[in-house]
Amino acid sequence: MVGMVFLALMLLVCLGSLPWTTSRTLVPVLDQDGQQVLDTRGQPAFSRGPFKFNQGDPEATARLSPGWWPWKDREEKLRLNRAVDAQTVQQIADEHEASTADVLGAIEGPMHHDLKRHWPRFLLGTDTLGRSLAVRCLTGGGISLTIGLAAALLSVFIGTVYGSLAAYAGGKVDAVMMRIVDILFGLPYILLVVLLAVASDAVLDEHISREKTRYRWVQSTAASLISSPQRSATRDDVRAFLSLQFEPSARFQELALDALTAEWERDKGQREETPRRPVGADADTWLSDFETNREMLAAAASLTYPPRKISEGRRTTYDVLVLLLAIGGVSWLTMARVIRGQVLSLKAQPFMEAARAMGAPVHRQLLRHLLPNLVGPIVVYATLSVPQAILQESFLSFLGIGVKPPLPSWGNLAAEGLAELNPYKSHWWMLLFPCVLLATTLLALNFVGEGLREAFDPKRARR
Amino acid sequence: MNTDTQPDTANQGSMASTDKPLMRITDLAVSFDNGKGPRIQAVDGVRLSVYPGQTLAVVGESGCGKSVTALSTLRLIPTPPGRYDRGTIDFRLGDGRVVDLLDIDDGAIRRIRGNDIAMIFQEPMTSLNPVFSVGDQIIEAIELHQNVRRAEARSIAVTAMADVGIPEPASRLRAYPHQFSGGMRQRVMIAMALACKPRLLLADEPSTALDVTIQAQILELLAGLKAAHDMAIMLITHDLGVVAQNADIVCVMYAGRVVEYARVDHLFAHPMHPYTRGLLECIPRLGDRGDRLVTINETIDRPGEFEQLPGARDGVRPWWPWHDPPPDLVRRDEPAGDYALVEIRTGHWVGLWRTAALADAAQGLPDLAWTRPESTAHSQGAQT
Repeated sequence: MVGMVFLALMLLVCLGSLPWTTSRTLVPVLDQDGQQVLDTRGQPAFSRGPFKFNQGDPEATARLSPGWWPWKDREEKLRLNRAVDAQTVQQIADEHEASTADVLGAIEGPMHHDLKRHWPRFLLGTDTLGRSLAVRCLTGGGISLTIGLAAALLSVFIGTVYGSLAAYAGGKVDAVMMRIVDILFGLPYILLVVLLAVASDAVLDEHISREKTRYRWVQSTAASLISSPQRSATRDDVRAFLSLQFEPSARFQELALDALTAEWERDKGQREETPRRPVGADADTWLSDFETNREMLAAAASLTYPPRKISEGRRTTYDVLVLLLAIGGVSWLTMARVIRGQVLSLKAQPFMEAARAMGAPVHRQLLRHLLPNLVGPIVVYATLSVPQAILQESFLSFLGIGVKPPLPSWGNLAAEGLAELNPYKSHWWMLLFPCVLLATTLLALNFVGEGLREAFDPKRARR
Repeated sequence: MNTDTQPDTANQGSMASTDKPLMRITDLAVSFDNGKGPRIQAVDGVRLSVYPGQTLAVVGESGCGKSVTALSTLRLIPTPPGRYDRGTIDFRLGDGRVVDLLDIDDGAIRRIRGNDIAMIFQEPMTSLNPVFSVGDQIIEAIELHQNVRRAEARSIAVTAMADVGIPEPASRLRAYPHQFSGGMRQRVMIAMALACKPRLLLADEPSTALDVTIQAQILELLAGLKAAHDMAIMLITHDLGVVAQNADIVCVMYAGRVVEYARVDHLFAHPMHPYTRGLLECIPRLGDRGDRLVTINETIDRPGEFEQLPGARDGVRPWWPWHDPPPDLVRRDEPAGDYALVEIRTGHWVGLWRTAALADAAQGLPDLAWTRPESTAHSQGAQT
């Protein structure tokens, strides 16, 4: 019960704050004199700054202890004072009839107390780059919980489908499917996750940069340029041709026009003035720059297949998605075994035979008669596999394979905190808070899972 | 309960209206894989037929192939490990077409299951899905086979529940199986089976798991519903009391073969096969004095038991797998070639060794359209 309440709160806070913490900060646009620029409606103009979770001043606010922590030295208090925004400092100065320098310099007394109230960003201290640990823990929690929940759902889905198919098919199919599970069980899962993550990363990189596509285009275009109907070009021919000195010909003229047109089409509407549509003369001037065939073809390729532009946010989303798939894709094994066992025992139940005798088709038997009977174990194992997935995500991030900085997750926050632990001055808050949050969440999830198991277990009498 | 005392009514039985068998099983053989050992022949050459409106009781001890025969008619034997070795099950559909149930495709057999042939199982405790209300399950059975809207299916379900004697059927539709007692659950099973008005009901020991009073009620209910819906029942049981009271035709099975097939009154009055006599003799009788009950083995081991058939002097011997075959056995070159089901008297078939006297006799196909007269069907009317 306590676990449930805590969990609900955690989910609400972390996931609810995700849209805010992953939004951009707004930075006032200043002209050369330091005056704020006004936009067309006369309002002060802002431009999009860094993400909120990534916002901080590495010099001014780095490694500040939590705001409420009493044992601060003088230097730290002064830095904290300066982190309060100028307007508030001015207000406090007016109240106390003192100068702003005095307010900023106060480390004791009523002025200090007034200032202290304006340190909410430093509720949990700041990290090495001066970013608010509280905001980062929130974002990290959101990321970790999202990955945990989604990966657990994915693994439950795969496991349920795989397990029930294996059990329902039975015989040799079942044996082969289960041996596959055994083999996957034998492999260390970290290895699998790393392999999956690295492989999908490479695919993603290629999708964005399109280097291979360009290379293949250059090779095939060169080959088609020198091939005759009688003889197709070998790789050596292509290599030789590519290193030849460049002499513009009618074919090259065509290629250049195609490439320039592709660029023109792409840029249409993006530039303020519509670019002139390329004509033969443009191709001529463009072609005059090249020394070898290779250079010309490479330039044409990069105009036809330029690297895709992808926003930072979208790239981050892809990374998280890849991690999620990797974790979900390797942790369905236990689920598959459990479900298989359940289906095997349910399949032999007389009510399944009764369903068959009633003339129910196979899909109906599976979905309507088997699945509802499986809901108990599925729910229980899903709940228990969520903390596992979160732990795996944190572990991978801790090792540096999972969520990549600057995006925080509880795992890489803890890793950063661990790096800051040293005998001279330990910045304990950077390690403690992510770890405490992670541990309590896992505990709560396990409590909930345990409670559900008890509730669904018919053998145990209910209290 | 004893039909021995009804010779006067025996011949007044009515012939079934259509005179065409509803289902006819010919030479059915089913075997099961047994790991490294030889395949287990669960059913080996069963022949029988059922007429519309008839109750055929299939009697025999555990493992004699009763249930396998019944499951085969719905093709519910899992294959593998099971296998239909040979035989045909000809079933007369509602439109008069006759199909071989072992030969039609999966979609066709699925349309027959629950619709033309329904089945009720021995275990009412576990034959209902525990996570659905009984109403949902009955409605599902209806929706699977009848093209009706949900509200309509619901009213059919209510009628079906009322038919099987469940009080307040409309509100009980929402109840779950665990809220019912064993007898009530069996009633629900019957309601489910009858919702689509099947023409053949396979009742696989429908009353075995119930206590005696409920047993009587359920059988009474089945008899009443049979008359109301004009369907045939294949009643699988090992309780001869149940047989005597409910069956029209009795088929005694042993070791996967039919050993005796006859009208219920004939069979009880003149059991021909020693095994049938053994079964009948081991029923304790009220008023009998004695220290112990008779076992089947005592009957079968009695000298002379196997030499009482008409034609015994010519070497006609009842088939019995534990005896050495008689010296003049003529083994035909076909499956089950040492055995013949022969009509030894009019309307009375017995499983025999294929001895020299029967070398040319054709395999008989038991075929009796007799149903017991109305008056004796409900001899002791426990009102439901």
